[in-house]
Amino acid sequence: MVLAVFDKVGAGVLKATDTFGDFAVLAGRAFAAVFKRPFDGKNLLNQFQSVGVNSIPVVVLTSLAVSMVFAVQLAFGFKQFQAEGLASQVEGLAVMRELAPVITGLMLAGRIGSAMAAELGTMQVTEQIDALECLATDPIHYLFVPRLLASMVVVPLLTVVSVYIGFWGGYLILVGVEGQSAYVYGNEFYKLLAFKDLRIAIYKALVFGTIIALVGCWKGYRTQGGAEGVGNAPTSSVVTSSLWILISDFFLTKLLLV
Amino acid sequence: MAVIDVVNLSKAFGPKVVLSNVNLQVEEGESLVVLGGSGTGKTVLLRNIMGLLTPDSGYVAVEGKIIAQLSRDELFTVRQSIGMCFQMAALFDSMTVFENVAFGLRRHHKMTEAEIRARVEECLTMVGMKETEKLKPAELSGGMKRRVGFARAIALKPKILLFDEPTTGLDPVMTDVIGRIILDLKHELGITSITITHDLKSAFEIADRIALLFRGECLACEAPEVFKVNPNPVIQQFLRGDADGPFLLDPPPPKRIPKEAHA
Repeated sequence: MVLAVFDKVGAGVLKATDTFGDFAVLAGRAFAAVFKRPFDGKNLLNQFQSVGVNSIPVVVLTSLAVSMVFAVQLAFGFKQFQAEGLASQVEGLAVMRELAPVITGLMLAGRIGSAMAAELGTMQVTEQIDALECLATDPIHYLFVPRLLASMVVVPLLTVVSVYIGFWGGYLILVGVEGQSAYVYGNEFYKLLAFKDLRIAIYKALVFGTIIALVGCWKGYRTQGGAEGVGNAPTSSVVTSSLWILISDFFLTKLLLV
Repeated sequence: MAVIDVVNLSKAFGPKVVLSNVNLQVEEGESLVVLGGSGTGKTVLLRNIMGLLTPDSGYVAVEGKIIAQLSRDELFTVRQSIGMCFQMAALFDSMTVFENVAFGLRRHHKMTEAEIRARVEECLTMVGMKETEKLKPAELSGGMKRRVGFARAIALKPKILLFDEPTTGLDPVMTDVIGRIILDLKHELGITSITITHDLKSAFEIADRIALLFRGECLACEAPEVFKVNPNPVIQQFLRGDADGPFLLDPPPPKRIPKEAHA
């Protein structure tokens, strides 16, 4: 009985180590392949298009919705203490430090991470990745690198967009609905913020972008089992990268705020 | 020296032994056809030759280089001299036919766009697919996809071509077309090739030698006329296409005798 438990726990630990090791090796190979030739500019631009430009509406809408809901909650909460003026300050702090990078990261994990996993998964089960190998092309270089680079550039840029939209989301509620002064809101939103906060948001977004691309590509690349496997890869990619985004957000916040 | 040298090659997936001590040599310009039932390790053999799988024991050498011992970069250099035609073509479905065939040229050769266009047209003409450049793989039939796969494989002017069941799932006419294309490629390009097929008609047309894989082992590897009269009961059963005999592990269901025969 006891031995069986140890056996199960041991097998679980071995499997987890094996999985993490596999991810680490593929991630290392992807970073090493960034500097390899040939440089495929067209492929990279395509990824910027699908990862970046096509994600703008999703990021705008979710950032607007979240910042508006947050402003409603803040206005309601601070009204209890007759401290409505603080709402715009806290809105600015929350949007810049947490909401913009995390919401952008989570939305893009759902949108582009899953698309990467599905695309590479389909390529894997239809032998297209083997075909790449047979055409003397490293799939890590050809498939991972453009997605990784695009994601590392685009997620921070979209986070900046999200901060901007977050400002206007708060404006709509606190100025438009709650009747605060537009001038005061404009000043108060940035009152608690320093340039360091924008830098923290961009660092976080950079890490989230890396997680999204690497996890999405890794889950797709390791797809097995035909249609069922292709179906599972995006789900698994979204769950894993969302989890890692939230966990890494905690550690990054602790680390970067010091 | 053989161009492809398979020596004591063994490969298992878990407890299932797929290849067991397989030995095959393919000389320059020779066309070897590998026959065998489903699941006897024919595709695994090709994947070992391409370095997509690593042997459990034994080795595969291509032009004297042992595939499993090569670094990634060395392996890619060797692969540029091998064209692989996949069973389901494995065309890149996000690209057009032209882009599929031009893929290797763009990656590995410093050619102008005009040179690439000329080479792609030449390859597509060879396989009778000249007017399909702008189509996507989803718009092609099974036979057309295979032919585009051939064009992609020959674009880099390889010394070796590997065909993985190029006629499976095609109608008899298209099977004959594919067989003729393989023969044309053999005569026009003088390429060394290994073809895996179940189609005996095209096998005997294409082959300089025929090998039969049976339960992971290579039963015979000889000229077609010798293979045809090989007394081995497994080979004879395979050639007859009969369910009764030693070929199957599980006995087949008994043959039904038509009612008229009883009367």
